[in-house]
Amino acid sequence: MAVMVAIAIAIIVPMLPLITWSFSFRWYFPDLIPTSLSMRAWKYVFSRASKAPQAAIQGVQISLVATLLSLVTGVPAGRALGLHKFRGKKLVQFLILAPTIIPPLSVVMGIHVAFIRYGLAAKMLGVMLVHLIPTTPYVVMVMSSVFANYDPEYEEQARTLGAGLLRTFIHVTLPAIFPGIIVGGMFAFIISWGQYVLTLLIGGGRVITLPVLLFCFAGSGDNAVTAALCVLFVAPAILILIFSSKYLTGESAALGGFGA
Amino acid sequence: MIADWRERLRVPVMLMPAMAVILVLFLGGLIMGLMQSFGYMPVIGKYDFTLQAYMNIFTDRTFLRSLALTCWIGFASSILATILAIVCALVLRQGLPGKRLVTFVFQLNVPIPHIVGAIAVMFLFTQSGLLARMAYLVGLISEPADFPVLVYDKRAIGIILEYLWKMTPFTGVIVLAVLQSIGEDYEDLARTLGASAWQRFRCVVLPLIMPGVLRASILTFAFGFGAFEVPYLLGQTFPTALPVLSYLFYHDVDLDARPEAMAMSMIIAGLITILILIYMKLTETYVRAD
Amino acid sequence: MARKLFVLLGLLMVVALILGACAEPTPEPTEAPPEVPAEAPTEAPTEAALGLPGELAGMTWEEVVAAADGQEVNYWMWGGNDKINAWVNGWLADQFKEKYNITLNQVPVAGPTEFINQVLGEKEAGQDTDGAVDIMWINGENFRTMKDADLLYGPWAEQVPSSDYVNWDDPSVANDFGYPVEGYELPYWKAQVVIGYDTAKISEPPRTMEALIQWIKDNPGKFTYPAPPDFTGSVWVRHMCYYATGGYEQFLGDFDQALFDEKFPACWELLNEIEPYLWREGETYPETNTALYELFAQGEVWFEMAYGVGDVRAKIDSGKYPETTRTYVFDEGTIANTNYTAIAYNSPHKAAAVVAANFMASPEAQYSALDAGHGMLSLDPNLLPEEWREKFETYPFGPAVVPLDVLATHRLPELQSGWLTAIEDAWRESVLEQ
Repeated sequence: MAVMVAIAIAIIVPMLPLITWSFSFRWYFPDLIPTSLSMRAWKYVFSRASKAPQAAIQGVQISLVATLLSLVTGVPAGRALGLHKFRGKKLVQFLILAPTIIPPLSVVMGIHVAFIRYGLAAKMLGVMLVHLIPTTPYVVMVMSSVFANYDPEYEEQARTLGAGLLRTFIHVTLPAIFPGIIVGGMFAFIISWGQYVLTLLIGGGRVITLPVLLFCFAGSGDNAVTAALCVLFVAPAILILIFSSKYLTGESAALGGFGA
Repeated sequence: MIADWRERLRVPVMLMPAMAVILVLFLGGLIMGLMQSFGYMPVIGKYDFTLQAYMNIFTDRTFLRSLALTCWIGFASSILATILAIVCALVLRQGLPGKRLVTFVFQLNVPIPHIVGAIAVMFLFTQSGLLARMAYLVGLISEPADFPVLVYDKRAIGIILEYLWKMTPFTGVIVLAVLQSIGEDYEDLARTLGASAWQRFRCVVLPLIMPGVLRASILTFAFGFGAFEVPYLLGQTFPTALPVLSYLFYHDVDLDARPEAMAMSMIIAGLITILILIYMKLTETYVRAD
Repeated sequence: MARKLFVLLGLLMVVALILGACAEPTPEPTEAPPEVPAEAPTEAPTEAALGLPGELAGMTWEEVVAAADGQEVNYWMWGGNDKINAWVNGWLADQFKEKYNITLNQVPVAGPTEFINQVLGEKEAGQDTDGAVDIMWINGENFRTMKDADLLYGPWAEQVPSSDYVNWDDPSVANDFGYPVEGYELPYWKAQVVIGYDTAKISEPPRTMEALIQWIKDNPGKFTYPAPPDFTGSVWVRHMCYYATGGYEQFLGDFDQALFDEKFPACWELLNEIEPYLWREGETYPETNTALYELFAQGEVWFEMAYGVGDVRAKIDSGKYPETTRTYVFDEGTIANTNYTAIAYNSPHKAAAVVAANFMASPEAQYSALDAGHGMLSLDPNLLPEEWREKFETYPFGPAVVPLDVLATHRLPELQSGWLTAIEDAWRESVLEQ
């Protein structure tokens, strides 16, 4: 039990300095608490001048769309992998999981020129598309394990009782796979929310999300603003985790979270 | 007949959207990167097909040192995270707190992206960071320069620490799940047969948890080797991690550096794949067939 | 079977896309803007066409302002200073809206390479009309790179109203790090290196480079500088080289390899000599000026240096530096330069960009930005109207800022950018990697 508490502390404690720094004003070595506190950093972060509110909104838009798109692509693929056997299944699995092993940066550096050519660079749509590369594998992984435990018999029964394709899907399939959708969607959102270098590369400075701003400030030496941005940045992801925590099972959750 | 065709198309159609993303965006990007690494860049009028970029970087000291550093980061973080996670899982399964509780604790840093973790490392482990200040408080050091160098250092300690913080829970959850599902029966049996604790671990526990450990450590290594954000924030510029180096080359105003940047990217991808294949081969004997 | 068909189709799509992306860019070559300004009619001056090139050719100032009405301007600039950001997104943006109905869109970047690569990438991909960049805050090697690669619109800077206040005869204004501006950029700020120290730790700082070197040896571990090619580190190394080689006058022309090889080893000798007395014994240097500022703030080192005259004051105000921090310059002077605004060749909002740049160089904007610690006035006070001259002369800078007249009389010039690269590379070889 003690070990567990120690682990929990080890995980949470590193986050506390962020909160303290965000409220600090004049905090020098070797003081353990700031000389004085102030709202300067927070006022700045919430003002238009910092671009943080705009970046947050853009980030939410991008991550929501990326999540939706990856669900739309991932749910059917997960079904195919979870329920069916077919030739080349291993190859498909390997391909779909490849982006978790091969760093997306390598891929996106290659595709950047094409994006400029087709007018996708420096646009939200381009960034949304590129976020699909790291998010889709995780959604597929979650959904395929959900479907592996799913019994298509119920659908058969519904159909024999006269329900159409759509009704079957809405009333039979969807409720059964719903937890998986929540979990998969959560991963997709968190992964997309935390992307930096992909957004930086394809966004070309015109698409600014919180990670991009965060890096800018982390490199500028203003610790208070950096810390405040961190807290602002982490808040939505934590909220989503809390919201979907009842759907999480151990292994799948950690697996997806790793990609964030 | 119609039903037959519909049936046959079902799986491909279901796979189509995801495969489109993978093939077009992922494979497409890889192939384009590969071509650009050979000097094939029509946009600026170059139609070469040469290995010059690869030869250039393999004779470049900066690249070789980056490669060494990146290998170090990848191996160190995956080995340490795995060991730490196994130890934690072994200890935890005896205490028997609820499975849900443990799972919950291990997931606490899931929503916290690596960037934030890196910034936290910065606030904690620099020579004037919080740990240094605590050391000052208890009289261990008298000025920042006395505190060991853990961030922006040539051993990439800060970077490895951040990876450990994020990856250990991830591996730990997997190992714990397996441990809790197999129970203690096999080990009890082995104990009655006179096996020592270490023998019990090596011959009973390890093979059982190996598949999960394998998956987790592969992903940890791939990430530690290929990630950009954390070394960019916490590392030095010379030598720097390979992904950062390739990014810097890509953004070099001298366009001749671009094929070299792509070559580095390809090497990163290729090395990860090869090392993982080797690792899987080596641990085959330990993995029990499902 | 059908599965394989789909895989094949997918691969075909990939190949098609790759081929499409690799297709030749549209055959229109990017024309360098014409160097010869349009003929100006001989009527009253306000009716004269400005003589701007490209799409603004033949327009008068009023017409340019009218064309800018309702346009947006993407201003790519270093984004790491919250005070400057607040000024740009606050006062400046409001002024643009009120006066000209231009929407200012700040694009904060970590460094100039980001916008250079953006425009370069667009040019490569044939994107000549709808670029993402309108105005950039730029100077030095970056300006030279962009001008050489035909990435800039111009010439326009000498034709705009604010140009009346710019002393184009001053070689440090007409030349950006020794490279002729030729109207492709308009002065924005002047910067000069100042050295920061904490009066609580040092009551009287060493006033010459010689005295500083002695101080470093007497106080090991308390001094360092950012590693070139960081901008601030680079200029600091140049200061030491000016001292070690006996003066900058001999290097004022184009880069001369023979002269470099003859004179600069004295500099590397000096830097290696002080290395063991530096922070961490010189085994490593802070990677950026920001890293140095953090060391200074936490008291790990006792000196810092910056190009921005108002930098230290801004840091005191934000709580990063203790209130006892002050700045000074050497008796023999410190290096100063001008930085500018330039316009991308493929900016889709050239009228707004010209109007914006012109306003940013106006006395009104320059004065307002003093509060943001943005830098020093780049206009020539002698060319300003009386009332503005007075306002600038009596601006309350506060105790942490070196007075303008002291700065003006303790000024050293920059070298041409060719020297800079040689110095940066040689530093890495001869000092860092020893």
